[in-house]
Amino acid sequence: MFLEVNNLNKKFNKEHVVEALSFELEKQKTLSILGKSGCGKTTMLKMISGLVNPDSGNVFLDGNEVTLLKPEQRNMVYLYQEDLLFPHLTIFENIAFGLRLKKINSKAIKDQVDQMAHSLELHNQLDKMPHQLSGGQRQRVSFGRAIIINPSVLLLDEPFGSLDSGTRQRMQSLFKNLTREYKITSLFITHDLKEAILMGDKIGFMQNGNLHVYESKQDFLNDPTTGVNQEINFWKSLQIEAGSELKNTINE
Amino acid sequence: MKILERPLLKNKTSATGILLFIVLGVLPFAAAFIYALLYSFGLVGVISSGFTTEFWVSVIKTGSFFKSLGYSAAIAGIAVFLSVVIALWLTLKFKSALENKFILMMVYMPLAIPGLATAFFIIQLLAKGGFLSRISYASRLINESNEFPDLVNDNLALGIILAFLTMIIPFFMLLFLNVYKNERIEDLRILAYSLGATSRQVRNKVVLPILLKKTRVLIALYFIFLLGSYEVPLILGQESPQMISVLVIQELKQYDLDKIPEGYVVAVMYTIIVAIAAVFLFLPRKREQYV
Repeated sequence: MFLEVNNLNKKFNKEHVVEALSFELEKQKTLSILGKSGCGKTTMLKMISGLVNPDSGNVFLDGNEVTLLKPEQRNMVYLYQEDLLFPHLTIFENIAFGLRLKKINSKAIKDQVDQMAHSLELHNQLDKMPHQLSGGQRQRVSFGRAIIINPSVLLLDEPFGSLDSGTRQRMQSLFKNLTREYKITSLFITHDLKEAILMGDKIGFMQNGNLHVYESKQDFLNDPTTGVNQEINFWKSLQIEAGSELKNTINE
Repeated sequence: MKILERPLLKNKTSATGILLFIVLGVLPFAAAFIYALLYSFGLVGVISSGFTTEFWVSVIKTGSFFKSLGYSAAIAGIAVFLSVVIALWLTLKFKSALENKFILMMVYMPLAIPGLATAFFIIQLLAKGGFLSRISYASRLINESNEFPDLVNDNLALGIILAFLTMIIPFFMLLFLNVYKNERIEDLRILAYSLGATSRQVRNKVVLPILLKKTRVLIALYFIFLLGSYEVPLILGQESPQMISVLVIQELKQYDLDKIPEGYVVAVMYTIIVAIAAVFLFLPRKREQYV
């Protein structure tokens, strides 16, 4: 397996935030993770990326243990919920940030950034400052900046949570295309059931610091604890209600 | 109806504000500047005898103004540079501790102390008969007070610079702390680490550029403020050269009436230089949109 997480544990002030967390993920696949607020999703991502140290447990990447490596040595990028861009840099420099750290030559950086900007439909925005872009555009820059350094794993923490539904849909489709184009392995945290099903090759459900990854999407849909059935029943009941109203109108 | 009235009321309020600003802020300053300009050309004042450029020529020829301006700029520049460096270091090193209310209050305290009191405190501490000198004598590091180095009223303006540091470092610390929080620099640091930056790269490419770009106007304004400061250099400065404000006041209070217009020449020149610097500072720049 490309990413292996074994028995990760983390306590904050004696409270178990992540407990005996284990899962595996194949290369170039996306694992969607659903869960309520405070169930430990963000802590899990930060531990995998090296931003928070686990109390115990191991993380393996492509067979190598990375548990004790610093974040900059793991080549995993943690993406915030908000479109957090460097406010003092232009859009070009934001996207090029990771490449500049690697001291790649300027011509190669320009070529890569231009290509990425085209993929993100941002080629006309490169000279602008972050505050001059819309929320959706900033989120695209944020993606581009992460993907351009070719991370081993992309860790996305509710990346579309702050976007309106239209922009969200466009971003979901853009993300799907990017994962295919750049062969990305990712963990995708979301609150949205539909988004989890759409984005993930596999789906996990996190509860009380523990993650359960389902073998198939059908297994996920069949599990009563996830609340999927309640959601489906809600939409079905609405459909039935609308249908009967329509019938009554026709009868009248 | 109310909705229609609101913009009108707002316009009225802002017009009154602008009028008050002009009457209380701009007019007295403009009047004083024009008076000083006329005085410097011999058009007003007790020895006025018609238009003359002799006072300007005299000031430019003696070079005391430029010497004093250069001296003031050097002191203000060193004080601001050291304050920024020290405040940055303290803020970044102890930012968690600075979230403690008591420690934060301790940082606020020096801001409430007037420059005059700070200057006297420095004298008490660093003069040849001061506290440090007495400790040095008691611990037999020196045999008499004259052996204690000149730290006030000295050629290198050490006393003035030290007083400025004690006055400005807390201000810059609070400023940097505020920007650190408002600009979410902690989150940006984590993000930069995640993108592969080392600690040094995070500091040099993210933390310092954001803090300095966001505060550069205030840093420059503080430089201008120190350039024209009066009480501290008056008490802790040497006889010659003097900082610019001390020179101006000294010229204006001369018994020799011919020297008074020269004082006004110095004041006018200084005002023009600072005004040009301020205009340059606040000019909108096309390339630098991050303010």
